[in-house]
Amino acid sequence: MQPEPLTVHIVDDDASVRDSLALMLGLAGFRTAFFADAEAFLAAWRADWSGCVVADLKLPGASGLELQAEMARRGSPLPFIIITAHGDVPAARAAFRADAVDFLEKPFDQVQLRAAIQNAFSKESMRLRRAADADRLACLTTREREVLAAAAQGLHAKEIGRVLGISARTVEVHKTRIMAKLGARNVAELVRLALAAEPPQDAK
Amino acid sequence: MPLLRYLRDSLVFAPCYIALDWASYIDPVGPFNITPWNPQHGLAIVWLLLGGLSHAPAVLATVVVAEAVVRGLPGGYFIAALTSLTLTGGFASMAWILRELLPDPGLRSTRHLTLLTAVVVAGTAIVGTAFVGLLRGAGLLGATPVPEALLRFWVGDAVGILITAPLLLVVADPARRAGLLALARRPESLAQAGILVAAMWLVFDGLHGDPARLFYLLFVPLIWIAARGGMNGAVVAAAIVQIGVVIGINQEAGARLPVLELQALVATFTLTGLYLGMMVDERERAAESLRQSLRLAAAGEMAGAIAHEVNQPLTALSNYGESALMLLARQGAADAALSDIVRKMLQESARAAEVVRRLRDFFRSGTTRLESLPAEELLATVRRIGQQVLGAETPVLSVRDEAELPALYVDRLQVEVVIRNLIANAQDAIRSGGAEARSIDVQVRRHDPEHLCLVFADSGPGLSLEMRERVFEPFVSGKATGMGLGLAISRAIAEAHGGSLEARAAAHGEFHLVLPCNRNP
Repeated sequence: MQPEPLTVHIVDDDASVRDSLALMLGLAGFRTAFFADAEAFLAAWRADWSGCVVADLKLPGASGLELQAEMARRGSPLPFIIITAHGDVPAARAAFRADAVDFLEKPFDQVQLRAAIQNAFSKESMRLRRAADADRLACLTTREREVLAAAAQGLHAKEIGRVLGISARTVEVHKTRIMAKLGARNVAELVRLALAAEPPQDAK
Repeated sequence: MPLLRYLRDSLVFAPCYIALDWASYIDPVGPFNITPWNPQHGLAIVWLLLGGLSHAPAVLATVVVAEAVVRGLPGGYFIAALTSLTLTGGFASMAWILRELLPDPGLRSTRHLTLLTAVVVAGTAIVGTAFVGLLRGAGLLGATPVPEALLRFWVGDAVGILITAPLLLVVADPARRAGLLALARRPESLAQAGILVAAMWLVFDGLHGDPARLFYLLFVPLIWIAARGGMNGAVVAAAIVQIGVVIGINQEAGARLPVLELQALVATFTLTGLYLGMMVDERERAAESLRQSLRLAAAGEMAGAIAHEVNQPLTALSNYGESALMLLARQGAADAALSDIVRKMLQESARAAEVVRRLRDFFRSGTTRLESLPAEELLATVRRIGQQVLGAETPVLSVRDEAELPALYVDRLQVEVVIRNLIANAQDAIRSGGAEARSIDVQVRRHDPEHLCLVFADSGPGLSLEMRERVFEPFVSGKATGMGLGLAISRAIAEAHGGSLEARAAAHGEFHLVLPCNRNP
């Protein structure tokens, strides 16, 4: 159940930039992994990787933007931060259109880079938590899920019982079992879990 | 003081005019002596064009004196006064029209040449009609029929002005004069002049034929001269041929040469030479500007490549520096002096990055996005940039404008690059000058219906004639530390907008930036 720790995956063809980033991010307490080009990254990539990708725009083979597109095609949710020594507006626009977290011009401000990584990480941990919640919800029975959905709408045990055609006591039993299964300490936490597990499309 | 200068100028003009009138007094016709070559009229027009219409009274007085001295007042004082008034009025009108039409008196393009030719040909026809009509009315034409008198006057005046005016304008324009002097120093020019004179000898004497029929021979050296020397060469060639024709006519006074026909040929010769020369000049200018833009494009590519290559090590450098600071902080009792040094190194690396960024930004004016920029916003932009560039420094920035200026139609960012560059240059010029009155004056005014002109004047020492054009060449800088790209790029931006950027010759620094207005506000 314990997920892989969040890792900064750096794709840059310049050895000094790679080395210096490894040193600095390592000292700042980040786990890092390094690749010289997009091809090396794709060859090593596994679907359970989490964290973010810091990719140079200009790489020997496929560019950072092409890597971003390829990862999206493979269904990877890894957030991207594009860095470039050749800051140009159209590339930045393309990166943001493809949902990059940030677009930084080399040489960048360390504060900026760390902020971008933090931003990407908070996105990632939210995604991971949601995935974990979804995993836990998967072990509920159909009836338990119905009770949970009704409870998430703010209904009381009596009302839930009326809607589902069961007694309020049975509802209470279901609730207790759900809380035990999901490791929730109270109803509020239960509701949060139920909401987090829902696909975000009804977020307006 | 202005009166003294006026008198002095007139004392230069009057003898020249009278001497030219006397020297060109050939083959007069009729009791009133209409001559087939009147270069003095060209002198009068150029005098009024360059000096202003306030010189008209002096010109009028000179014309009257010349009538008396050279022609002996054949019609009496009253008629002389009337004809002189007609002539002076004609000169003044032509000079006024040319002043209005030509952006500056140095003939710079075939368009200017066409304007000059059209004004002169039409103007002399109108003045000639008035002049001959006046004489006819006074019964002074004698046996000469009106059409013949008119034709003589017209051809004589048009040829005289078309040869004299461009020559004088070339001599009066500093840039063109420099070109003329450079041309005179070329050995080739001597050979060209020699062959032209030899060809004239063949036409008038050597071949014992009809000079009018042999005249075509002169076009051969003309082609050579104009092709090699441009307009400057053609102007001189026309003058040499005209003088040769006058000498030829005078020598064969008994032989009754077809003077009018010869003068018409000289007119054709002159126009051919001027246009040919002007086209050669224009082609050369186009080639030069193409060379410059190619150099600029190459510089842009180079700047991009350098920016990329230098930014990589700068990134690594600042990362290592940051790491060093973190390690020092981790050691607890961090060495304050060492941290300080590392921090300074980081600052320097940031400064290097800033230089690279600015260099690249200069060339990033690739795609132009035109939008309307109201005049008030333009002025606000100038003030804002002025504050940013000058900071709290002493030079006074004053910004002035005319009322009701139209909006510009430009790319904001690119225009800002140009304004920033011009203000920064002005600041450097003032610093190097060390003058007591330190000021930068930016003035916005209407240039023509479709353009505004921003005049950047500073109290610096100004540019030498030679540097005036050179500063716009890439990698040429008047500053010790300049890269020589600012003005080259600024001019490229102005020209990409359909405007221009020029340095003016003045005792102080002065740049004129012309930008297009919004056509459909």
